[in-house]
Amino acid sequence: MALPVPILETSKISKRFGGFVAVNEVDFRVGAGEVRGLIGPNGAGKTTLVNLITGIYPPSAGDVRLDGASLVGRSPHQVAHAGLMRSFQVARLFGNLSLLENLLIPHLARGPHLALARGAERAAGEERAWRFLELTRLARQAHDPAKTLSGGQRALLQAAVGFMNPSLKCYVLDEPFAGINPVIKESILTLIEHENRARALTFVIVTHETALVRRLCGQVSVMMGGRIAAEGTLDEIVRRQDVIAGYLGKAGA
Amino acid sequence: MISTELIAQSLLAGIVIGIIYALMALGITFIYSIVKMINWAMGEFYMIGSYVQYFLIVELLGTDLWFIAAPLAALSVFLVGYFLEPLLIKPMFTAGIERKDDYATVVTIALLLMLRNLATVLSGPYQRTPGTNLPTIMLGPLPESGARLAAAACALAAMALFYLLLRTTWFGLAIRASAQSRIGAQTAGVDIFRMDRIAFGIGVALAGLAGALLAPVFLVYPTNGIVTTTKGFEIIVIGGLGSIPGVLIAGLMLGIVESLGAAFLAPAYQNAYGFVLLLIVLLIRPSGLFGELMREA
Repeated sequence: MALPVPILETSKISKRFGGFVAVNEVDFRVGAGEVRGLIGPNGAGKTTLVNLITGIYPPSAGDVRLDGASLVGRSPHQVAHAGLMRSFQVARLFGNLSLLENLLIPHLARGPHLALARGAERAAGEERAWRFLELTRLARQAHDPAKTLSGGQRALLQAAVGFMNPSLKCYVLDEPFAGINPVIKESILTLIEHENRARALTFVIVTHETALVRRLCGQVSVMMGGRIAAEGTLDEIVRRQDVIAGYLGKAGA
Repeated sequence: MISTELIAQSLLAGIVIGIIYALMALGITFIYSIVKMINWAMGEFYMIGSYVQYFLIVELLGTDLWFIAAPLAALSVFLVGYFLEPLLIKPMFTAGIERKDDYATVVTIALLLMLRNLATVLSGPYQRTPGTNLPTIMLGPLPESGARLAAAACALAAMALFYLLLRTTWFGLAIRASAQSRIGAQTAGVDIFRMDRIAFGIGVALAGLAGALLAPVFLVYPTNGIVTTTKGFEIIVIGGLGSIPGVLIAGLMLGIVESLGAAFLAPAYQNAYGFVLLLIVLLIRPSGLFGELMREA
């Protein structure tokens, strides 16, 4: 298989918290249009890696590039403008805003912030937002505050919110399926598959669920102890004794 | 003897002053909602607004054009806040220190002292007045100072404008999002440091507008912001920090209680009645009347 052009690339990226090295010289490459799984035992550094990529933490060393341009030193909103979105394990929605407004924010967040009346922009945004409300079957609650949603619906809405960024190139989803019922899980899966095919979007999906990884992700990266321990298809990975030992070792600890 | 007329007049006076105090409280609570810090120098921005109003009226516009001077005074104070925030407040949030909001709050106390003394150096401790030509207006049988009524009307208009800004514009949407989750807003692409800057500017401009509107009533001098700021803080404690409806309702309550107390108990203790109200509210609802609606901004 020819290696696709990397759209997201980290080189020797590290993060130290005091004496603890959470992410240790990681080279992580994701090709354009790929759906990459990122798995690993708890505490392996997956979320820290996501936080480094999306500008929440500055790296202690190393570089992150999106489509060739370095993201290091950019604040999270600039990373979003560059086309890299993320979701959080605990959905960070705006509870008092309606579902529609939650969806509109990434659409309107580009451009001059002082622009007050953005009639045409807003109309275009609302049209897109309604499409995602239909896709996620949340249209009936469009005008309700997001805090009225169930936990699963929150995760679903949060996943949809990321797609509203018009310059989206790569979407990093941190545990999008954790603790979610099968129906909503299927909705999120469908959304990802749909956007991957329709817009050739790139995804990085952090998850523990191998069934979903098998369905979504061609390639999987395994993190252990702050490093990428293995990469390949899921079937290749599960045959690796060191990976299994790493998981079991952590589980037994 | 308690006459209905006296009750009505005290109520009216209380409502009028309560609305103006609410404007000040709105500025405090708005800055808190977005920047997550208490700005102790609000009274000094009130003071700057009153001085700008004074100089615009005396040097340029004349007493009759007060309604042009007041928005200009508010705009000037907005600009002062807009340019001070990245110099004084933002570094507290971006530098690697702990308890960022505490440091930012301490910075505003330093700013308070600096501005107050700067005003004394520049203008002396004298009390000035831009004067007013607004006549006393009779509402039915009740007389009310024209300057106060005008100030309350303008304060209401400013609050309505503020509400429209929050509810109908893209900027308002981004501000409401930032008030609820800074990190969520940031990762969605909102430049929250820019939001902080604008919110700080708008918050102090509300104080500046209060200062400009009250310049003919409470006069213009370096420490003239103290009373209104104290009322503003009382209001946000009564109404619940971060709550915008709470500000208006608590402002009216405070104005009415003080006014009725002054008329029927003893005028000398006017300021104390507000604190009694505050203590009662805190006893019953420690988070303020609308405390649960925090972040409703």
